[in-house]
Amino acid sequence: MIRHLFKLIWNQKKSNFLLITEIFFSFLVLFAVLSFILYNYHNYTQPLGFKYDKVWQLWLSPNTDSAAHNIAVQQQMIQRVRSFPEVEHASFSNSNTPFAFSQMNAGMSYKSKKDVFSEVFDVQDDYKNVMGIEVSRGRWFGPQDNGSLHDPIVINKKLQEELFGDEDPIGKLIPIDDSTQYAVIGVVDHYRSYSEFDPEKAAYFHRINLEKDKNSIWNGLVIKVKPGAGVAFEEKMVRELSRISKDWTIEVTTQEKMRQSKAKVTTVPMIAMSLVCGFLIINVALGLFGVLWYNINRRYAEIGLRRAIGASSKQIRNQFVGEVLVIATFGLLLGLLLAAQFPLLNVFQLSSVIYWESIGAAAFLIFLLAIVCAIYPSRQASKIFPAVALHEE
Amino acid sequence: MIQLTDIEKVYRTKTIETVALNRVNLQIERGEFVSIMGPSGCGKSTLLNIMGLLDEPTSGFVAIDGQPVKTHSDSKLAKLRNEKIGFVFQSYHLIHDLSVVDNVELPLLYRSVSASDRRKRALEALEKVGLSARTKHFPNQLSGGQRQRVAIARALAGNPEIILADEPTGNLDSVMGEEIMDILLRLNQEEGTTIVMVTHDENMALKTNRLIRFFDGQQVADSMVIEAQI
Ligand SMILES: Nc1ncnc2c1ncn2[C@@H]1O[C@H](COP(=O)(O)OP(=O)(O)O)[C@@H](O)[C@H]1O
Ligand SMILES: [Mg+2]
Repeated sequence: MIRHLFKLIWNQKKSNFLLITEIFFSFLVLFAVLSFILYNYHNYTQPLGFKYDKVWQLWLSPNTDSAAHNIAVQQQMIQRVRSFPEVEHASFSNSNTPFAFSQMNAGMSYKSKKDVFSEVFDVQDDYKNVMGIEVSRGRWFGPQDNGSLHDPIVINKKLQEELFGDEDPIGKLIPIDDSTQYAVIGVVDHYRSYSEFDPEKAAYFHRINLEKDKNSIWNGLVIKVKPGAGVAFEEKMVRELSRISKDWTIEVTTQEKMRQSKAKVTTVPMIAMSLVCGFLIINVALGLFGVLWYNINRRYAEIGLRRAIGASSKQIRNQFVGEVLVIATFGLLLGLLLAAQFPLLNVFQLSSVIYWESIGAAAFLIFLLAIVCAIYPSRQASKIFPAVALHEE
Repeated sequence: MIQLTDIEKVYRTKTIETVALNRVNLQIERGEFVSIMGPSGCGKSTLLNIMGLLDEPTSGFVAIDGQPVKTHSDSKLAKLRNEKIGFVFQSYHLIHDLSVVDNVELPLLYRSVSASDRRKRALEALEKVGLSARTKHFPNQLSGGQRQRVAIARALAGNPEIILADEPTGNLDSVMGEEIMDILLRLNQEEGTTIVMVTHDENMALKTNRLIRFFDGQQVADSMVIEAQI
């Protein structure tokens, strides 16, 4: 019977052409949207490597150019912040704190590996405690690094793999310029702070040494607050800090809020695409439904004949559902030819698993759609009285 | 082999009620070649549909081989149609998107028959109607007479005990009509297939064993055709 249906559809390919193309395109659109969603979902399920709970973010920017004065103010501010009983930990950093709309990167080379690009995070020793970062190998920064010859860095596993492969990274020296070398002192398994929906990139932490560095102003200040610290404390802290830094702009937000607004960058287009896709699907469903309906009316006599030669009404219903599935299969096979190029040619560097999953899910949805659209018209077809269908004047 | 008892068929639409069959009693015996004649609209097709289990009478009983079919399920009726009955229609009712041989295979599709067996039996049936050279053609590449021969082959492929033919020559000229009639006669005489045929052609009716005349939903005559009349 399945062969019979394929033959029937194949011989009717001209009249089924439109439906097949429609299914072909919806499959591709579904495939694209699902790849996008699955890609984001896959990233979302990966570990971040830090905890944003009860972490507050302060943005500090001086409004005057007097460097020496600003450096002094900066020192006073971090000391004041640490002295609040509500604050557990605090660390300066660059503006690329987790979920901020800011990125910094640099290229580095080690032996044969040239210009490996990596995210750079300038942080103080206490950053580890603020963000709950765990070091899996070697150690984090500490006061013992104050007198070290080289700039200590802590790298993530991704950078370790890209730069050193299987070699032990601890103690490796990376030349940066004529006077500077970085020394790898530790490795964290993960640090993926730009967005929950972005894949992890190679990254390293670079130590801020306020004693030594008398030039840099750090815009970011992250603090870990004790449970219960709320708006009242926020107001008090801003008031106190403004007293120290009269001409600075101070903004406070929480990492949770930053996470939410960063997530919107991905979820809003995702929802929009899903909506557009949904409308498209409804359109295709209506088309499918209409064509089926038309087909069944056009094939009234055929239905009567099939009943006459021994088809039960159930078999008529199954035939029409089967035909729609065969049409869907033709459309899917065409779509698959195209969609399979993505994982095979590794387009966009997405993991091929995501592509195959999207292909599977898109095919499933198309079949489901086809069945849902086919059931009602097919049932109607199965209810046609054979004598009426065969009636001839 | 088919018994009709007190068959009544009434078509009801919103405005009118048509009595298509009015208390028809009829028994078709195995091996008979019965022809049915009567003016247009007198209920001949309705009668054939009821005999062929395509339609239910409004009242009365239909029995096949002594078995009443009234309580049969849809699939049981379908099975009976498939195995015992072959239909031939005035307008052939071939499926245009299928080749000749695929059309002939159709009844076997609703049985558990292997694809190769199906093909074999379809080709045999086509040979019986003299169309072995046209198996890969499509219906629109054939003449009316050839199409009707395909339809007969389709009825034969299922190896039915009875063929119900509703004006099988109605759309054909007399030469082609004769060809079809010859095939049916041969089937009846050589293979013993029971045939019930509706026709408007007195000459063809006279070639059969038994002639039933209908008028306004009622039998008005049922007589053996005597050789001498031909
Ligand atoms: N499905 C139907 N609905 C209403 N009336 C019908 C239907 N089928 C047949 N009839 C009526 O029943 C009568 C008998 O029809 P039919 O059996 O087709 O006659 P015949 O085959 O002898 O020309 C006619 O009056 C016809 O109009
Ligand atoms: Mg008729």
